Amino acid sequence: MKTFAKYWSIFQITLVNSLAYPGELIGRSVMIIPFMWIFYQLWKVTFNAAGAEIIGGLSLRDTLWYLMLAETIELGRPPLARTMSENVKDGSIAYILNKPYDFLLYQFSACMGETIFRAIVNAIFGSITVWFLVGAPNQPEGFLIVLPAILGAWTLHFCINAMIGLSAFAVEDVSAFTWIYQKLVFIFGGFLIPLDFYPQWLQIISKALPFASSIYGPARLFVTPSVDLFINVMSLQIGWIIVLSLLLVVIYRRGLTQLTVNGG
Amino acid sequence: MKELKFLLALWKTNLQSAMEYRISFLSQMIGMILNNFMYFAIWIIFFDRFKDVRGWGVNDMYVTFGVLASAFGLVSLLFGNAFMLSDIIAKGRLDYYLSLPRPVLLHTVASRMIASGMGDFTYGFISYGLSGYFTWDGLARYVLATLLAATVFGAFLILTQSLAFWFGMMSNFSNLVLNAMLTFGIYPITLFDSYAKLILFTIIPAALMGAIPAEFIRTFTWQTLGQLLFGAFAFLALAILVFRLGLRRYESGSAIQIEI
Repeated sequence: MKTFAKYWSIFQITLVNSLAYPGELIGRSVMIIPFMWIFYQLWKVTFNAAGAEIIGGLSLRDTLWYLMLAETIELGRPPLARTMSENVKDGSIAYILNKPYDFLLYQFSACMGETIFRAIVNAIFGSITVWFLVGAPNQPEGFLIVLPAILGAWTLHFCINAMIGLSAFAVEDVSAFTWIYQKLVFIFGGFLIPLDFYPQWLQIISKALPFASSIYGPARLFVTPSVDLFINVMSLQIGWIIVLSLLLVVIYRRGLTQLTVNGG
Repeated sequence: MKELKFLLALWKTNLQSAMEYRISFLSQMIGMILNNFMYFAIWIIFFDRFKDVRGWGVNDMYVTFGVLASAFGLVSLLFGNAFMLSDIIAKGRLDYYLSLPRPVLLHTVASRMIASGMGDFTYGFISYGLSGYFTWDGLARYVLATLLAATVFGAFLILTQSLAFWFGMMSNFSNLVLNAMLTFGIYPITLFDSYAKLILFTIIPAALMGAIPAEFIRTFTWQTLGQLLFGAFAFLALAILVFRLGLRRYESGSAIQIEI
């Protein structure tokens, strides 16, 4: 219980810290407005050109709300891998490693604390914009059902990003890995185009990968909530979280043996 | 002429400095090319399913994305500090450039090279090659369009980041307008109504970095060339004017710094 309290405190501190500069928080989140507007233009034209009310089980309204949630999940994430890489490069990682807490759990608590308000502000701006453009979501209860899936998505994202960040123990500069990971999320996660619009063979591959569990699963659950879909999304997420967190612990332990601190 | 020699010397020094870490330079370049290809895969999937957007097909996207990437890459390579100008101003780091007998703005923005820019710049040419629009005179237009689009983009960065003279730290705003410029530049211009187009030619001149250069590359018209030339020179003049006006308000950081 005492151990949990320690990480809860770290979470609370970063949560409060993230509110220290409200102007910056809002400034960062405003970007979702032009994104949603441009998505609206693109998909309005596309639905019109296709002459269809529904494509891949989604209406124009569903598509816009889907994209709003996808953007909220993605834009709410702090740049964990880059931060870890900078900690390695400037030597400050030495100060984190010698503290009486687990390095990975510390990073997880801090990352979650930083994420919450970013995501909330993004969701507020995104929802207002989409509501104004296409109206309310068809099934507003999706807002509640999707919460555990969003938490799962961030946990998955943490596992993958921490692995990328840990690669800085060996290669120091991780920017190329973060770009590629981001693009994998774009393509296989359904970040810019819902996976339901993909060719069948690509849908099957994409839906089986962890990237879909971190974007597509929660976003689709949000617009078409159902008990079956909830069970499906959560079981896939939990499976991937178990696999990736085990892998993360192994990589962390091996990485420690390769770490060279240059400064500090 | 004297300034051109100075610029060439700066770029040579930047390149030598980047080449000191060859593996890092190459990995960033190849990583960025790969990154762009992966991003473009989204558009291939989109156009495979929906064919075209108001007459705008995947081949047009290859050219638009290509010229935008090359222009972005060129500014990153040659004027890398343009992305960080607001930080430099707000933290008082202009002191170093002010103390030297060279044009302050030119010296500041050209003092940094972003290695990944080489990947963007190269990718653009590959993308144009794959577009199906490739011709030799088209390639000459591609080079000219890239130079003019890069001028618009660089000037836009200087213009927006120079607002730091008045408002202090504004990295969020800078990122916001940078993202807006790139996002709007990459989408088919046919999506937008006339009001939106007006914004894309003026407040956020994304059309002058993506759609108009792409149109000029596909088919030469005096109109598109005129738009590009006018846009490039107007934005550059405005950017220099705003920077100079802002410089009068600049207050030294009084910090001891070493520029490497």
